[in-house]
Amino acid sequence: MDSMPGQHETQRPADFLRQILGRPAVVKVNNGAEYRGNLVCLDGYLNIVMEGTEEFVGGELKRRYGDVFLRGNNVIYVGPAPAK
Amino acid sequence: MQSAGSAAEGASTNGALTGGSILGEPSDLVRLCLDELVYVKLRGERELVGRLHGYDQHLNMVVGDAEETVMSTEVDEETFEQIVRTRKRKLPLVFVRGDTLILISPLFRQSGASR
Repeated sequence: MDSMPGQHETQRPADFLRQILGRPAVVKVNNGAEYRGNLVCLDGYLNIVMEGTEEFVGGELKRRYGDVFLRGNNVIYVGPAPAK
Repeated sequence: MQSAGSAAEGASTNGALTGGSILGEPSDLVRLCLDELVYVKLRGERELVGRLHGYDQHLNMVVGDAEETVMSTEVDEETFEQIVRTRKRKLPLVFVRGDTLILISPLFRQSGASR
């Protein structure tokens, strides 16, 4: 009422995720690991498929994956990868 | 592992993945892994490498010719150093409950390259 937020503030979580689709993303999971790669697709459970993925544990690169499926229940957050 | 990743990237799956032509939803990737070698990361610092025989909507899975790796960290009582111990064992056929699964990754190229 008192303020008209811009379009970016009114978007829903799903819209936010749609913007990241096909782009470099960061996904953090329950056990503290972080996955950086191209976000290929996701579903309502937040199951996620990424490609060209790097696994970071404690900020350290642990592993690389071609394609990877992450089970949604482990996902803490999804966001665009910060530009390098 | 690393070579498997980069090889898969150059191969047919990855380019098409981004366009969304193959993958409509995440479980499609798991379907593509059927009868293929997969790497599975589980809760409790466990990993599994084996052939994916089947799965369901919970991602309960049946994996054949599997090798399980269990990692445990212990602290040396005198030096307080962290020691990572890995134990491996073979499982000819194993059912994995879906809720313990963290990730699945296909190892397509590795199986091809080793021949």
